[in-house]
Amino acid sequence: MTAPAVVIREPSLARDLIALTKPRIISLLLLTTLAPMFVAGSPSWATILWTGIGGYLMAGGANAVNMYLDRDIDQLMARTRLRPIPSGRLSPRTVLAFGIAIATAATWILGHFVNVLTSALALAGFYFYVFVYTRWLKRTTPQNIVLGGAAGAFPPLVGWAAVTGRVDLASLYLFLIIFYWTPPHFWALALLKQRDYGKAGVPMAPNIWGERETIDQMLWYSVLLLGLSLLPVTFGVFGLFYQASALALGGILLLGVWRVRARSLRGESWTAVAWSVYKFSLLYLALLFLAMAIDRHI
Amino acid sequence: MPLPLPTILWLSLALVAVSQIMILRSTVRAMRAAESEQARRGIEWAYAVVPAVALIVVLAATWQASQEHSTRLGLEAKASQTVAP
Repeated sequence: MTAPAVVIREPSLARDLIALTKPRIISLLLLTTLAPMFVAGSPSWATILWTGIGGYLMAGGANAVNMYLDRDIDQLMARTRLRPIPSGRLSPRTVLAFGIAIATAATWILGHFVNVLTSALALAGFYFYVFVYTRWLKRTTPQNIVLGGAAGAFPPLVGWAAVTGRVDLASLYLFLIIFYWTPPHFWALALLKQRDYGKAGVPMAPNIWGERETIDQMLWYSVLLLGLSLLPVTFGVFGLFYQASALALGGILLLGVWRVRARSLRGESWTAVAWSVYKFSLLYLALLFLAMAIDRHI
Repeated sequence: MPLPLPTILWLSLALVAVSQIMILRSTVRAMRAAESEQARRGIEWAYAVVPAVALIVVLAATWQASQEHSTRLGLEAKASQTVAP
């Protein structure tokens, strides 16, 4: 019996440029941009297409500039060591130019084909991620991903504004859901990658506050998220389908974090459960936003 | 069975308020344990309070929006009773 062949892809410029945009992360950002468009109304195919392209390029530009700014710590962490800059495949200047170029293209596309507010919100998300999160918060406070979570919460505002041309209470709720989802999501990963973050000197909550306090906060953020996700039902934005989905998904997330806490308190290994919380949190956000879109059309 | 809207409102507000207070409490505890300097503690405290204040503003707007929604639902129910034979 022969062992399965391991396919090693040859690095190429195109592959590296795509890698700079972090396409796997952007797929979730795109979902949280496009689903709110169907909550806000009935967008045309052209609006969906241009918002999707603009959203991808803006987020991709922010990710590329982030890789430029974090190039010193990326080479210290196993998780990021193989990125195009630390591995020497692309020069920092090329990465910066690429990031700025595609973010500029996104600003023009969204402003020209969608509307100015959509373009301004997407650009605000770019600036927040690059300057507020990466440059300011990331290396200075254990609450970096709490406030920095706002950067990842811009996409629903972008999608909403693309359809309605404004931002209102319902869209703010979509923003807040992502904002309060970020701590349990990221800290589940940070708990598992403590050594990596410690080596790079990034003050993540588990490294500074300790595991116990971080897990406690993950639990309370999950409770807050459950309550917050139900509130749009009370002023008529969503109905029964969303209500049931938010309760079920929030309950599963909460249960997962509770299991991490219980195992930690008993002194048992919690790494496998923390990993499953991290993976489920991704599914949670995707399914919750899908439920929103479905609820509005049934 | 769907929960009545006022029940969802009160339950959700309670969950949000209690958990936000617990988050603030935990942040203070964590800052003390980390033995950070006074100035740093002030900044960390501000980072924790800013989202809480923003949340209060959104909750106030939510309260108003849910009252308006309940009134609208009440008026619609009344109108349908009047129209029905």
